[in-house]
Amino acid sequence: MSKQRDPKIEILSLYPHEIKFILSDTDTSIANTLRRLMIAEVPTLAIDLVEFHENTTVLNDEYIAHRLGLIPIKYMDLVTNRGIDCNGAFLSHTECSCEHRCPRCSVEFELDVNFDVMNVTRPENERDLPMSVTSTSLKSNNEYVVPGHFLNAEEQNEAHDTGISIVKIGPGQHLKLKAIARMGISKEHAKWCPVAVATYRFWPEININDELCSTLTHEQKQQLVDVCPDRILELDEVSGKLVVAENAWELATFTEDLKLLQETMKKRPEDDDFVTVEHSQDRFIFCVEGTGAMDAEDILMSSIKVLSDRMLYLRSKLDILKENM
Amino acid sequence: MNAPERSAAFLLDEDNGEEKVTYASDTKVSNAGTFTFNKEDHTLGNLVRMQLLRDPNVRFAGYKIPHPLVHQIDLKIQTISSTLAPIDVLLNAVEDLGDETDTLNREAEDAIERWKKENNAGGMGQF
Repeated sequence: MSKQRDPKIEILSLYPHEIKFILSDTDTSIANTLRRLMIAEVPTLAIDLVEFHENTTVLNDEYIAHRLGLIPIKYMDLVTNRGIDCNGAFLSHTECSCEHRCPRCSVEFELDVNFDVMNVTRPENERDLPMSVTSTSLKSNNEYVVPGHFLNAEEQNEAHDTGISIVKIGPGQHLKLKAIARMGISKEHAKWCPVAVATYRFWPEININDELCSTLTHEQKQQLVDVCPDRILELDEVSGKLVVAENAWELATFTEDLKLLQETMKKRPEDDDFVTVEHSQDRFIFCVEGTGAMDAEDILMSSIKVLSDRMLYLRSKLDILKENM
Repeated sequence: MNAPERSAAFLLDEDNGEEKVTYASDTKVSNAGTFTFNKEDHTLGNLVRMQLLRDPNVRFAGYKIPHPLVHQIDLKIQTISSTLAPIDVLLNAVEDLGDETDTLNREAEDAIERWKKENNAGGMGQF
């Protein structure tokens, strides 16, 4: 029986649109699997079918449908106003027992913007300008589901539009459509991807061989400090020793400069290095940025849930296989 | 024209009798066999393979994707003795992974709660 690993998570920063955390005491395969799940297999909502009633805009139907599909759709927790996991609330349309579509597996949005009708509501000086049809015009039939207009309040303050711009219309143009959003995963189409970025870096293990370093001159030590473009080493003023910088783990980029310089400094080629910087095999620094559809912490929890469900499913299938052997 | 449905990458074709896992015992090597997982990729393959390698009862564990356009994994396992069949070590590995995932789940929830307590009373963070 193999030893049980005991993974640990330590959160570095947590915002609605981004989470940074350290995953430790576990293998690279878990880290990579989590990353792959966050990118490809976390279920989200996105517009999948569009029925056009009226389109006299400058963009054709499929162009607008494509743009609508890429709008992030939030499943909201009305109390905290956060975008949360939609996995439990909706069924995927392949699993749903309804014939065509129903509120259990889909959400309907309506959009009806007529330039001539809307123009009278605009201020006088703007009435000649084209009108932006944005994601705020999408009216949902489910109060929990809304388009994600902005990533965060900062973006909202800086934006010129009221939401995600779909198309700009001019006099005499009318856009009327019904859009149906369904649950899906990114493997089917990138519009269902909940993350903009999900990456991890290795924690740097920096070892300074104090014995060998004491044979170096002050200038040589300063050279070692200066050659690193990521500034992970420092020269301690009091003792004159080489030390690792406070936030070296944040800065480390694992470049070869240090190694190359030490090759020239060593007395014999087969000597040990003065300073080694290596990837840790069991500590990873994750950074996950959302698109606005789900809060970053919910993306993480959802990916762990997907992994857990996958393991259970596999277990049951393997049990059946074993019985039939 | 010839492009398969994107959902064919992850949905089992049960109408055509596609099973999630099948097993073929190795004819030439003792205590060995190959499991074929349908509609799976490196996400699962690497995870299970690395877990198998940590088991001292496993002599050989490796996975491959025979063709990039066909979504299938071949996982070959050889155990050290005939008392433990490949299916048994695989079940153990999957169970261990399930336990590890549960630990991860708890850890993540606790870590998020700790962070929220320390930083602002459970509300949303600023940018």
